[in-house]
Amino acid sequence: MSTETLTATHTHQDEHAHHEHHEPSFIRKYVFSTDHKMISKQFLITGIIMGCLGMLMSLLFRIQLAWPDESFGFLESLLGKWAKGGKIDPNYYMALVTIHGTIMVFYVLTAGLSGTFSNLLIPLQVGARDMASPFMNMLSYWFFFASSVVLLSSFAVETGPASSGWTVYPPLSALQKAMPGSGLGTTLWLVAIILFIVSALLGGINYIVTVLNMRTKGMSMNRLPLTIWAFLLTACLGLLSFPVLLGAGLFLIFDRSFGTSFYLSDIYLNGIGAMTNSGGSPIMYQHLFWFLGHPEVYIILLPALGITSEVIATNARKPIFGYSAMVISLLSIAVLSFIVWGHHMFITGMNPFLGTVFMYVTLIIAVPSAVKTFNYLATLWKGNIRFTPAMMFAIGLVSFFISGGLTGIYLGNAALDVQLHDSYFVVAHFHLVMGSAAIFGMFSGIYHWFPKMFGRMMNNTLGSIHFWLTFASAYMVFFPMHFMGLAGVPRRYYQFSLIPEFGIWMNVNIFITVSAFLGGAAQLLFLYNFFRSIFKGKPATQNPWESNTLEWSAPIKHLHGNWPGDIPAVYRGPHEYSRPDRDLDYFPQHEVGNGEPVHYEAPAETQKTYASDNKDSATKVFFSSFAHLFLLKKA
Amino acid sequence: MNCSKLQQCRKIVIFFLQFIKNNNKFAHDLKKTISSFYSRMNTITKNIFKLALVAGIIFFAASLISKSVDIHQLKVDGYSAETIEKPLFGTDEIVYEAPKEVAANDAVATRVKWSLLLFVIILIMVIANAFDISALTAKLTGKQAINSNNVNKWIMLIFLVVGLSATAWEYAVHGKHALLGNASSEHGAIYDSMFNITLILTTIVFVITQILLFYFSFRYAKKDGQKALYYAHNNRLEVFWTIIPAIVLTLLVLRGHQTWRSIVYADVDGTKSTNIEIFAFQFGWNARYAGDDGILGVADYKFISGKNKLGLAYEPEVDSLVVELKAAILSDQQALDNLPKTLESLKADWQAAKDMQDQEAMSSIKKEIEEINCGDRKDDLNASIKRKTKQLERIASIKKDPAVYATYFTKAEEDDIVTQELHLVKNKLVTFKFRSRDIIHSAWLPHFRAQMNVVPGMPTRFTFMPTKTTKEAKAENGPDFEYYLYCNKICGTSHYNMKMKVVIESQEEVDAWLKTQQPAFKPMPAVIAVPAVYLKDSATMTKDSSKNITKKKLALR
Repeated sequence: MSTETLTATHTHQDEHAHHEHHEPSFIRKYVFSTDHKMISKQFLITGIIMGCLGMLMSLLFRIQLAWPDESFGFLESLLGKWAKGGKIDPNYYMALVTIHGTIMVFYVLTAGLSGTFSNLLIPLQVGARDMASPFMNMLSYWFFFASSVVLLSSFAVETGPASSGWTVYPPLSALQKAMPGSGLGTTLWLVAIILFIVSALLGGINYIVTVLNMRTKGMSMNRLPLTIWAFLLTACLGLLSFPVLLGAGLFLIFDRSFGTSFYLSDIYLNGIGAMTNSGGSPIMYQHLFWFLGHPEVYIILLPALGITSEVIATNARKPIFGYSAMVISLLSIAVLSFIVWGHHMFITGMNPFLGTVFMYVTLIIAVPSAVKTFNYLATLWKGNIRFTPAMMFAIGLVSFFISGGLTGIYLGNAALDVQLHDSYFVVAHFHLVMGSAAIFGMFSGIYHWFPKMFGRMMNNTLGSIHFWLTFASAYMVFFPMHFMGLAGVPRRYYQFSLIPEFGIWMNVNIFITVSAFLGGAAQLLFLYNFFRSIFKGKPATQNPWESNTLEWSAPIKHLHGNWPGDIPAVYRGPHEYSRPDRDLDYFPQHEVGNGEPVHYEAPAETQKTYASDNKDSATKVFFSSFAHLFLLKKA
Repeated sequence: MNCSKLQQCRKIVIFFLQFIKNNNKFAHDLKKTISSFYSRMNTITKNIFKLALVAGIIFFAASLISKSVDIHQLKVDGYSAETIEKPLFGTDEIVYEAPKEVAANDAVATRVKWSLLLFVIILIMVIANAFDISALTAKLTGKQAINSNNVNKWIMLIFLVVGLSATAWEYAVHGKHALLGNASSEHGAIYDSMFNITLILTTIVFVITQILLFYFSFRYAKKDGQKALYYAHNNRLEVFWTIIPAIVLTLLVLRGHQTWRSIVYADVDGTKSTNIEIFAFQFGWNARYAGDDGILGVADYKFISGKNKLGLAYEPEVDSLVVELKAAILSDQQALDNLPKTLESLKADWQAAKDMQDQEAMSSIKKEIEEINCGDRKDDLNASIKRKTKQLERIASIKKDPAVYATYFTKAEEDDIVTQELHLVKNKLVTFKFRSRDIIHSAWLPHFRAQMNVVPGMPTRFTFMPTKTTKEAKAENGPDFEYYLYCNKICGTSHYNMKMKVVIESQEEVDAWLKTQQPAFKPMPAVIAVPAVYLKDSATMTKDSSKNITKKKLALR
């Protein structure tokens, strides 16, 4: 940790006489800290721990899927009564699937990703001393922490944790007797999610206010790094959609515990008899849930895309291609994400006309997504790419974004969804486009901003190996699942060996499980690298990646208020890499220049020297370089 | 990672290197020879050499360990590793069969599995150590460690080639199972063509963009003295790649709209098709045919009883349900009044069990006592009484109002036929009317490209026309082939085993089959899927094959 010499920075700071600070107590510094950098570390480490748990759960149920007829002694010693005879209980299998999904979606990729990097980067990149409300920021973390504890405590419940899928659809989740996990476990799940929503709302409103009100001198909206744009839009999405889930969750609690009928009607439950509930609709819960659920996908993905934009521009040593197009596509994805939730419900029996509407708006989202992909490719083109682990994870994200995004075209199509809904095709789709892509964005961010967080460098070689193992194993796990889904294998099935039709996939299931274990093992490398580097890594330099953005102008040793003395002013956009009029290939935002305009245009003759043999059309140049791949000509 | 072990390893390396460096003349010469050989290799060969070395070490270690560990001695309680006969890897051509009898030489496969685990662990250790050693060597010899940028650049290219070949392999081998062959329904053919168009388009885009991504990464990797092109935007290019996807997607969505209409509007006014009710419950399916009158009788969840599993509005059954409910309310009331007495007798039982030192009985009795003490039992009984009273009220209100009575008790249900298999007529439009007893289920007929959720309290339906009989499908896919209807929405413990056999036949065959089924007012017991795990004890678990389980289940019926 970089705080041991805080006294030294203090005297430094006191000399400048801007703030009067006292040495905070241990508890105020490390536990109930109001410093955004410390809070971001707290989010990150909690996120990593939750991520490990989520991954372990996935490995457990992968064992069941690969070897459904065998028993493993270690499972019984690990899970006790839930794995009698070394075989996971069907109810516990469901619980594992449910909690794996919940942890990954909410605790790792929402709080762990957005919470960490919004907290770290927003004040540092817009040039603010801290968040608008540091106290609320602290509450945000501690609500998240409490929520994690409540969720995990459901493993200690006699009837097991919630087990009706991460979407907890009623009536399965609403009727306490419908399955064991729908008892106390689901109550705890709901309480955890409500605490989580409080955390997300407290954080989100803070991020928005900070970005809009606390930018430093010269940091106009069109000079914001794309990370900040992404965090801003993410926070807006969260702020508008999480309250709906809060409502849905409260109604569900009412249905479960107080006998209301928001989601229940006409039910005869085995062992209970005809229920008194009438007039509710389980489909209403799905509408409310997916009104959050779909924006949630982008709450997960947008920060990852923002991080990728920044990392790719820095490491390709090029301005991100089409800054405005990137912002506009982020914006349109954010807006569209609010009106497409129905594509999760094409076959719930809703009006077919409504299905048509949702199909149209869903496929429109593919357009801004395509623009983003092509802009990333154009940014790489003619760059000077440094393969830092962060850069490679960013490239991996783009690859997943393409692979997973394209299968979205199948699932967004109402007609094709009739067959593919809830099959393994869906599992493959969202694990690639949302799961793997976002987790790669998170890794990218961790490797890139680790020097900023801990004042030390992570090891690059270990990082590269971690990347290649994770990248390969993610494809090996999820790519074959597409074909399983296409061949009619439903998701959330506990035991495939009971259905002879699925016999041909047994080998594939084993292959997937082995690959998953490989991927899991690769994460051990990451954990080793991460925790070792915190204490023993090479000390970081001021600007290790030769980046333009403002956070690298802050001192390596963290200090409360971020900058000693004045906050630096900003003179240009964040992506002025490799400008022809400079010797250095970067131009920090805060460096005083010659008063050049916001958007610097490279002189025409410089453009020409790079594209001299291709006349002048940039389109031609771009595609011709692709043609050179086949013609083996030097581009 | 064991820290002291790492340090030990490091110490050995340092000692070794320094030993070579300072003392031994022979070793010095050897080192010189090796390093001159090494320096003559270019970077790539060097890296390949190193990788090969590391891989060699790993394989050597893994094979050593896997040979030295006898898996039969690794028995953990309840677990014996003698069951695997399916290959670990291989093409899917090898059809998986559940393990039959224990063969003596099966341990090899188990060994492979264990050695795989060891392999992964060793891989991590070796990677971590190799990295430490290489950094150390670089430090001591004063040479630059390998240029990781170059290595990664080449791996990018290799990954592209390997990845695309693997994709092609997947398309060729697994792709032939896609959509389970040709569709067996009328709209399925339209569906398949829509799917194929999307597949071709997305595959083209996938290949092109992935090639661009990895090729650019390879081609424009960092070189000394190279500066990137300052190229911040190009409006024409951006408009180009906004409009092209927009046009393609418009075409796709229009075609999708057409396909969607052909699926959901197959029979809008419900006149062209035969109605069959599909009834879902935890955990099974029933089908209800209209019988001779061609009308499905009214059914309601309020009428469900032990004999009337689908809740048909058959008056004699409803009347006997009313009697049953009244009796149940009385017995609940009695149980409620007797709670103090029950508590006392339980306490006596507990004392008796304690005297006999019967721990199991003690804990179960204690649980019951707690249930009564904390009021749970009382609440349960009260709720049960309330539920049943409400149900009685509702039934009474139906019977009281003649207009409502007429809509329920139509006598159309008397000749309805409830079955546990679904037999459909080829080339005849059929509409499924879905009804759920308890939870949301989803009826999925993958061969027919048909799926619809089954929602309690909300009627849903799906219309389609099967075009291929089971016999024809068997001719195509082998004699074991059957059509199935699966549950595809998570619905509880036995979700994974909730399916119904579907048979497509000619009209005559279906009629003949229907005659063998019983009429509705004596519905047959529904198939209840019991989770396989509960059916057998843990001792026989490993030896049982899935086929045995199915047989047992059949016997249970």
